[in-house]
Amino acid sequence: MSSSIAIVPSATLLGVEGTPVSVEVHVSNGLPGYTIVGLPDAPCRESRDRVRAALLSSSLAWPMKRITVNLAPSGTRKGGPGLDLPIAVGLLVASEVLEPEAVSGTAFLGELGLDGSIRRVPGIVPLVAALSSPVVVVPPDCFAEASVVGRHTVRVAGSLNELLAALRGDGPWPEPPVDGPSAAPAPVPDLADVRGQAVGRMAVEVAAAGGHHLLMSGPPGAGKTMLARRLPGLLPPLEGDDALAATRIHSAAAVALPPGGLVVRPPFRAPHHGASAVSLIGGGTGHMRPGEISLSHGGVLFLDEMAEFPATVLDALRQPLEEGVVRVCRARASVAFPARFLLVGATNPCPCGEGGAEGACRCPPGARRRYLRRLSGPLLDRFDLRVVVTRPDATEVLGGPPGEGTATVAARVAGARALARERGVGCNAEVPASRLDEVAPVVPGAARLLEYRLRAGLLSARGLHRVRRVARTVADLAGAPGAVSEEHVCLALSLRADLVAADAGDPPSHAGVRGLVSVPGSRRPA
Amino acid sequence: MSEPLPAEAFAAALAGLPGMGPARLRAVLAAWPAEEAWGRVAAGQACERAPVALACRPDAAGVAALWRAAARRASPERVWEGCVRAGVAVLLAGAGGFPGCLDDDPDPPAVLFSLGDPAVVEGRRVAIVGTRRCSRYGREVAYELGRDLAAAGVRVVSGLALGIDGAAHRGALATAGAPPVAVVGSGLDVVYPPGHASLWADVARAGLLLSEAPLGARPEPWRFPVRNRVLAGLAEVVVVVESAEKGGSRHTVEAAMVRDRQVMAVPGSVRSPVSAYTNALLADGCHPVRDAVDVLVALGLSTVPAASADQRPPPEPGDEAGVLEALGWEPAAFEDLCARTGRTPGQVSVALARLQHAGWVGERGGWWERIG
Repeated sequence: MSSSIAIVPSATLLGVEGTPVSVEVHVSNGLPGYTIVGLPDAPCRESRDRVRAALLSSSLAWPMKRITVNLAPSGTRKGGPGLDLPIAVGLLVASEVLEPEAVSGTAFLGELGLDGSIRRVPGIVPLVAALSSPVVVVPPDCFAEASVVGRHTVRVAGSLNELLAALRGDGPWPEPPVDGPSAAPAPVPDLADVRGQAVGRMAVEVAAAGGHHLLMSGPPGAGKTMLARRLPGLLPPLEGDDALAATRIHSAAAVALPPGGLVVRPPFRAPHHGASAVSLIGGGTGHMRPGEISLSHGGVLFLDEMAEFPATVLDALRQPLEEGVVRVCRARASVAFPARFLLVGATNPCPCGEGGAEGACRCPPGARRRYLRRLSGPLLDRFDLRVVVTRPDATEVLGGPPGEGTATVAARVAGARALARERGVGCNAEVPASRLDEVAPVVPGAARLLEYRLRAGLLSARGLHRVRRVARTVADLAGAPGAVSEEHVCLALSLRADLVAADAGDPPSHAGVRGLVSVPGSRRPA
Repeated sequence: MSEPLPAEAFAAALAGLPGMGPARLRAVLAAWPAEEAWGRVAAGQACERAPVALACRPDAAGVAALWRAAARRASPERVWEGCVRAGVAVLLAGAGGFPGCLDDDPDPPAVLFSLGDPAVVEGRRVAIVGTRRCSRYGREVAYELGRDLAAAGVRVVSGLALGIDGAAHRGALATAGAPPVAVVGSGLDVVYPPGHASLWADVARAGLLLSEAPLGARPEPWRFPVRNRVLAGLAEVVVVVESAEKGGSRHTVEAAMVRDRQVMAVPGSVRSPVSAYTNALLADGCHPVRDAVDVLVALGLSTVPAASADQRPPPEPGDEAGVLEALGWEPAAFEDLCARTGRTPGQVSVALARLQHAGWVGERGGWWERIG
């Protein structure tokens, strides 16, 4: 026979989605050589040397013939080394080492080592999800990831020889590895560790229950990071599509997956403020990697020292915050990454970090204003919760009673989220403004209070909607159905401090307020 | 040229020369009439007169050469045109329009640039000064003092800086009382700080802006202590509202003491860093300022303390009174108030909302403060 052909199904990764690829291997008489076509990238093109060495190390012959490998569809770019294994299998079939029947209906994913071993590749979850063949062969340590999809019979093979024996029927398929007890998930920090901080604790609880973005301002050592780290523990575990989406993203970004394979615990990502826009949003040359905002999909993105982030990086967050998805476009490809996350920011009140109240710090007035002005108005506006966190009192830290634990608070949060689902939204932060009158009516006393705030210019119309959503969450957490009470509205207002207003050279704000309630200055000259 | 330039044009041109500080300008204008002085300076002969040479030590020849070079490029006609176009008047010491209170000053300005009606200066004048980095308390006190003094017919003199100065002027503009007077450190066409552009225009419209600096002069750091001595010279009483231990208000106070002006200070919390200097002044024997009446008494305008008539509804006993007491007189965060009162955030937030509604407390940047 002068030529033979083999077709092996596999997949390649673009962003966080897999694309099916048919690996076609053609072996014919002619000048010995190897050509790979179908837009392979550099690691993919280098597969020739790995496949050749792996075959020779496994005591298999490298056909001294003309070999052409095509990666179909040939118009899309193929990236990464994951096509090594299907190319090798295709070569074995085309050179008649394997019967075509032995591999029919089987897809292959994996990188080859020069010794013939089969190694893991990133993005197994989306890759497997893209495959339609009933059987999938993956490297042994990818078994848990590959099983997450649940539609395929997953086989593992540690080396080419093991694989060959199993395919020929000479031996059994290798057993998938079992996760040892050492792989138990790391414990989540407990909210009971936070002493005092009644307002800070309440803010994280409300943030978790209503999906409200939270900004904390306070001096170093006030416990901002401590509070933020306890927030993911309050969120309900990820379910269904959310869990699968989070797993796909983590898998595509080659972030270690939990032992079960499926990401169920809400992720917590805390990038340093040196992060670039691309690392936060996603993208990059070569293959499109999901950014930190996608890695925190379904969980918490914590930006510590928020005012130190470059303004351009922060402003890039605005669109994904609004839409829950980020579209990254490059000349060669455009991909959409899921990015629905809870944003938690922490910042010092000023460069010296000490000054909470005006007149209490060492910074020049201009430096103070410039510092917080790096957080643009539109971005600040997206924080429904803005609280000042202060260093707790020494007696509370040393001897105060421990506060409620994560389990208690998480149960309340789950209850509030269930109420939100009954209203047809994922959480209260998603309630559209048009439905607020129906979802979050307020008692007459609270309505008067809000009206006074609006008239005094202490609250904007958009701020009003946000306060009402937070008030609804506060009431849900307190188990108060029906109209929102005055206390819950006041609490929502108190949890939304205008952190950047300090130091503006305005006349004292109470001048207008006093006029409104007709209280003149206490002592006027005669 | 149709009509000869006035002496003011030459004085303004002289003031705009590099290295021309108040003392040198005074020496030059004392040595010759303004027009002749310009000619001498342009010819490099300025330091031929001993007082000028003395003021230009240690490098009198270098200064004379610098002036000569600069005077060749400058022209009094252009300077004068600029002044006329900007509506800026040039006041010469001893001539009409120059504030009389500066006549016997130990270190008087030789030339003042003014925007507004120079006659506004005549009348009772009180300077209200303090730190740019003030607390809410300081800003409110400055605002109320400015407002109440202006209402009582006293001209409020200040420096248009951020913080206390700006608040005092805003207060003075808030009533239809005496016009405000501002002494600034930069040229009158260089608004500094830029954030005070509208306040700057309001003061110029309602009162008077004065500067020793020529048009176009940048707000260089050395100009502010120099400005402060003019400010002190213009005032009969200097009130320091808030100032840190090493604040710029110290220059104004020292200048006021040299000129025998009365210095008064607003007491502040002993824990507040921006009240450190004012409290130190009080400890040294300055009169305290509790309100505008104290200042009016010092001016001899009033001897009757105003009746204290607080019309605010008293805080309800229970949560409101408890929160107000826990707040005290220093700023506190919502978190602090919950910790101090032992009440839940919900209770505290309701109490704060009611107290704010009644005018007892105010909030800024997440910090709550009691309003006096």
